[in-house]
Parts: sequence; C-alpha cells; structure tokens
Amino acid sequence: MPSCSPSAGTENRAPNDGKRVAEQVLISRILAGEKDLFLELVRPYQRTVYATVISMLGSKEDAEDVAQDALLKALAHLHQFRRESAFGTWLIQIAINEARMRRRKLRHGIMFSLTSEPDGDGAGAYIPKDFADWREIPSEALERSEIREALAKALASLEEHYRLTFILRDVNDLSIAETAHILGISPAAVKSRLRRARLMLRDILSPGLRSGGHMDLAFKEVRKPWE
Amino acid sequence: MGITCEEVWRDISDYIDDELAPKQRAALDEHFVECRHCTAVLEGTCNVIRLYRDERVLAPPQGFHHRLEGRINQELSQGSQASQESVVTMRPSRRAVLAWALCAAAAVPLGFALFSRKTFTLPGFHHLDPPDSPVTGLVAVSQDTGEKLFHIPSCPYLHGKPKFLPVQEALHEGYTPCPVCVGKRKLEKKG
Repeated sequence: MPSCSPSAGTENRAPNDGKRVAEQVLISRILAGEKDLFLELVRPYQRTVYATVISMLGSKEDAEDVAQDALLKALAHLHQFRRESAFGTWLIQIAINEARMRRRKLRHGIMFSLTSEPDGDGAGAYIPKDFADWREIPSEALERSEIREALAKALASLEEHYRLTFILRDVNDLSIAETAHILGISPAAVKSRLRRARLMLRDILSPGLRSGGHMDLAFKEVRKPWE
Repeated sequence: MGITCEEVWRDISDYIDDELAPKQRAALDEHFVECRHCTAVLEGTCNVIRLYRDERVLAPPQGFHHRLEGRINQELSQGSQASQESVVTMRPSRRAVLAWALCAAAAVPLGFALFSRKTFTLPGFHHLDPPDSPVTGLVAVSQDTGEKLFHIPSCPYLHGKPKFLPVQEALHEGYTPCPVCVGKRKLEKKG
C-alpha cells in the first residue's frame, strides 16, 4: 500500500534535534547583536510562512507583503520567543495573526468556497465522489505553472478551517498536536478536518490530474465534479 | 471483506498518518487488496498530499528572498540610525517632557513659599528668626490676657486677640519683650 504520510506517527515523530540546536545557536547570536543572521534563520521557513499566508488571503501581492511583515515582526520580537516551542511553530502563529489582521483591514479576503457546509470539524462522514484510478503524478509535472496554479485554486476552494488544517499538517509538516495547538482545537478535530480536506482535494483534482499530470485542465471547468 | 467502504473512508486519513491501531490497519490493508475503489481513493489522496508537499507548490514568488533581505537591511539600518540619534541628541521622550513640566509647575509655589517665608507660615508651624537678628517691624501684644509682654507675631506664647504696633511704641506703652521669641535680640531703634 502506498505510504505518503507527511510525518508518520505524529506524536512519536523524532524531532530533528540537530536542526533545532542549530536554530537555538543562531537565535542566541541574533539576540546578542548579529542581526544579519536572521535571514539565515528564516530561510527554511519562507515557503512555510508564505504558503500559510496565501492560503488565508488568496492574493499573491498581499501574501508576499504579509509574509514579509510576519518575518520582520519575528525579528523584532525574537527576544520574546520561548524556546520550549519550535521556532517554526512560533513563526506560523505570527504569520496567521498577521494574515488575520490584514484581512480585517482589507475586508476582501473572504475566499470563495466551493465546499459550503456549516463551520464544523468535518466530523460527519465524507463520501468520495470519484473512484477512477489516479496514477502518481511525475515530479516534472510540477514544473508547469498551470498545474501549480490548479493546486492553489483547488486549495482556495476549500473552506478556511479545512484549508488551514491541511496547510499546517500536510504542507508545513506540523504534527497533529502542533496543528491543534495553533488552531486552538482538539487533536480529534484536526483529524476530522484533515480527513475531509484531503478527500475533498482529491475529488476536486482527480478529473484534471489523474492522467499522470498531462492534464487538460478540465479541473478548471469542473470544480465540483460530483455535481 | 471484514470492513465496509464507509469505514475505510472514515479511517483512511488516519491510515495515511499511521495513526491506526495495528488491528485496524490490518483490516484496511485487507480491504484494499479486494476493493479497487477504495484503493483508488487511497492512491489519489496520497497523490494529493505528495503534490502539495512539493516545495514548488505554494512557493514564494521569485525575488521574495531578495526583497525580504532588502526590507530587513532597511529595518536594521533604520533601527541603528535611530539608536545613534537618540544617543547623540538625547531627545527626550514624551514622558520625560511631561515629568519635567510637572516638576516646573511644582517649583513655582515652592519657590514662592521660600522667598516669602516671613509672611508665609504653615498652620502649626512657627518659624522663629535667628536669635542674633534684630527685631524689626511690628510686634504683637495681646488685647485679652492683660499681660504686658510683646511678641514676634508668630510666637506660640501670644494668646488672645493680637494688636500690632511698632517696637518702640510697645516699649513706650510699658510692654516688655517676650523672653521666648524676642529673648536677647536687639530691638529696632526708632529713626
């Protein structure tokens, strides 16, 4: 059976101690005055922060602006970072707060959702809509910008609570517990939302992508293939 | 087939995350061998996760890192410039300005009190002139007690309704200096 877990065995995931120690050293040096090292510290998290923010705002321009604001805020408040949590988790929390603040200012960040349902944890059963075989997408297919765009649009079509859970867990590779902590929900709720988000994305993307990435972008026209 | 397709869909996400108990996992494994639909759902879901995990998906736009570097450098140079300026010019903060204003306001009545100490006496406080300074101006005598003493107006031994008169006049009327407040101090000579 295929194994595609972002980090199998979430609670027992082996922490990357070496990376964490290196981060702690960098943070100490930055706080001691070597502020130019900050860029090195956040380099591995740029995609994490950007992906989180764009999943909440939709607009690329706003997302870049807010992602950079979040990183600058992290620099300004680095002395407040309590080292018992992971630096990446702290950074994502700042990014989410910044994106929420920007959305309040802009008032246009309410993203169109194709998966309209009451704002719940997705605890109800989700029935897959598409049972056709879907071969693995070759990595080269992602060189094509239209496929990357299709993935971004499919994600944007989910409701935010599904979108954000999926981003934190499957894109940013946080554990169930870390995701639950950031979103302020229970691990069980994270699992429910995650299951629904994954199955919905599969249903949305299947018609366009299952031919091994040589898609004709039928997905663009058929966002809800089951209807 | 041990479990139904609905049960598989319910647990498929936990299966992917390896969050199931061994027995449950084995049941799903058994189901996947026999059910082509559920296998398609599993493989498709794994494809989705694999695609989104790729660094190229939802990646920051080109030049993001460079622009971030520019903003950080700008922020750092502004920060150091501001701290240098504050050291050189010592520009006071708003709180400091307010504190100074309050001090100045408090200094006005205090200064007034100090410079007019001969006429300004706080209740219950009787200031006495130095013992070697001459007694000048008006002295006070009591109109009620009948004692034939004259006092410095602030003397605590002056009782009753006071009457103020020049020193020489008090002497002329037969009053003698209060031994406490006037004591051995010289008396102002007339003329």
